[in-house]
Amino acid sequence: MMKCAKREEAIVDELSKLYKNRGFKRYKPGCFEEYSLYQDNKDFLIGKNVISFSDLSGKLMAMRPDVTLSLVRHIDVESGAAEKFYYNEKVYRQATGSKNYKEISQLGVEVVGTIDLAVVAELTVLICQTLATINENYVLDISHMGYTEGLLSEFGTDKQLVAEYLKSKNLHDFNKLADGRNYSKEIKDAFYTAVSVNENPELTLQKAEKAALNDSMKSAVAELKELYAIIKRFGYADRVNIDFSACGNADYYNGVIFNGYLKGVPHSVLTGGRYDRLLTKLGKTGGAIGFALYLGEIERYFARDDESVDYLIIYDDIKQIEALNLANEKNRQLKTVRLSRCVPEGLVYKNLVDLTDGEASK
Amino acid sequence: MINIALPKGRLGEKVYSLLSRVGFNCKEFTPDSRKLIFKDDKGEVNYFWVKPSDVSVYVELGAADVGVAGKDIIDEYTPDIYELADLDMGKCTMCIAARADFNDDVSAPLRVATKFVHTAEKYYAEMGRDIEIIKLNGSIELAPVLGISDVIVDIVETGTTLKENNLKVIGKISDISARFITNKAAFKFKNKEITAITEKLKEAVKVYD
Repeated sequence: MMKCAKREEAIVDELSKLYKNRGFKRYKPGCFEEYSLYQDNKDFLIGKNVISFSDLSGKLMAMRPDVTLSLVRHIDVESGAAEKFYYNEKVYRQATGSKNYKEISQLGVEVVGTIDLAVVAELTVLICQTLATINENYVLDISHMGYTEGLLSEFGTDKQLVAEYLKSKNLHDFNKLADGRNYSKEIKDAFYTAVSVNENPELTLQKAEKAALNDSMKSAVAELKELYAIIKRFGYADRVNIDFSACGNADYYNGVIFNGYLKGVPHSVLTGGRYDRLLTKLGKTGGAIGFALYLGEIERYFARDDESVDYLIIYDDIKQIEALNLANEKNRQLKTVRLSRCVPEGLVYKNLVDLTDGEASK
Repeated sequence: MINIALPKGRLGEKVYSLLSRVGFNCKEFTPDSRKLIFKDDKGEVNYFWVKPSDVSVYVELGAADVGVAGKDIIDEYTPDIYELADLDMGKCTMCIAARADFNDDVSAPLRVATKFVHTAEKYYAEMGRDIEIIKLNGSIELAPVLGISDVIVDIVETGTTLKENNLKVIGKISDISARFITNKAAFKFKNKEITAITEKLKEAVKVYD
């Protein structure tokens, strides 16, 4: 199991600095949104349930389960420009594997407006740096909705089934389906290429280019080729995989898709991608791209806060004032102090000062 | 080191014997041992014996890197995993069965008794049929006999139990067999080892089974 030597707060500080260095502004949304925002965009959310309540005017409201929807709804960007944000907020949703709502820390980055290659590449590098801040041993999987949607569009009414096979890299069930349906060799090869991952992403992209069945797949490969060349130039190539088995919801996502993994954590800790279609759905123009790091779901991997003290001072009714004086004196000497009537269970302390007559209750 | 979750019982033992033939043998393993964890002789893999319906949980949570799970379990719990191979063993069918004299009354919700709640709900939702689920954990065949359900959704191997209880198969949902699955993150970080085991196992299934 992975153990990170840093504390969660230290990670958040480092990451905030990383984003600020690139001019990302901190976004601080309110905690409540109209319920309809989430109701209308249920499939964009990780969990389908939100905590809802009526506000004083009777309007149905919700505790935000996500930050991206708030940001896209409230931020308007002039055409031709792009706004860059990061956030570090609590969201309220079902935790993976839990049957209850939870307050979950989430950290993320979003760019809204005109998205060009430079923006995508800057974000990709930021993702690598974000993951490396927690654990040097990370993997970033990059996929592209243009490729996966282009591929799946070839399967007509079997689209949903083939999407399941794609996501689970299930070749055997795909082959059974293919035998029954008499798919052409080209279509089968395109599926095989999409599920297999080569150690060398350039080779994966070459094969994907050859296997591309339509314009959507071709332009997706072209975009990834450009992106990969930049990532390589900046020295992140050995941490990046091209893996087309990852696909997002096509109602919201349209371009690159990111999934970040840390060694020792059994699920992806970072997800993101290009989501122009969410903007369109909310009646806005322009593009958007972003990622979220699920800090809350990896908190047990971080180092615990140091709760030990330099001095534990035990006092009783008679020694209360004396104890306070002693504590102040120790603080002036830049020592940490804990005052207590007895030795607190589990507390680690360097020195014990017992002001009672040795009668401290243990 | 690769951690392998095997389902307790006949299927798991069969998969173990295949793996032991292709280079992952454990001297300390005996079929009647109560020990739950075994290391192979070369120290390359760890075997765990777990309840068959729990294999996908161990794999999804990363306690095991790979495992062997029935397709029925994968369909029911829809774990976020990769399915690397069909081992072509432990074959059976997910079926709908009812009493021999059953006639579907479409004017009322169909009462379905099953262990596989998600599978049954998904199947009938696609058909647009309104159902009531009765979740049972065993002896599902009793439900229509005693009249608490109209039909059952369950795995059928030979059909003997159905026949002896005067039930018949009235529909097929899917073919079931054992699958070799892997945790998605493990597949990123231990790709070479996991791919090697998968290929060896696939080969062993062809040669020895």
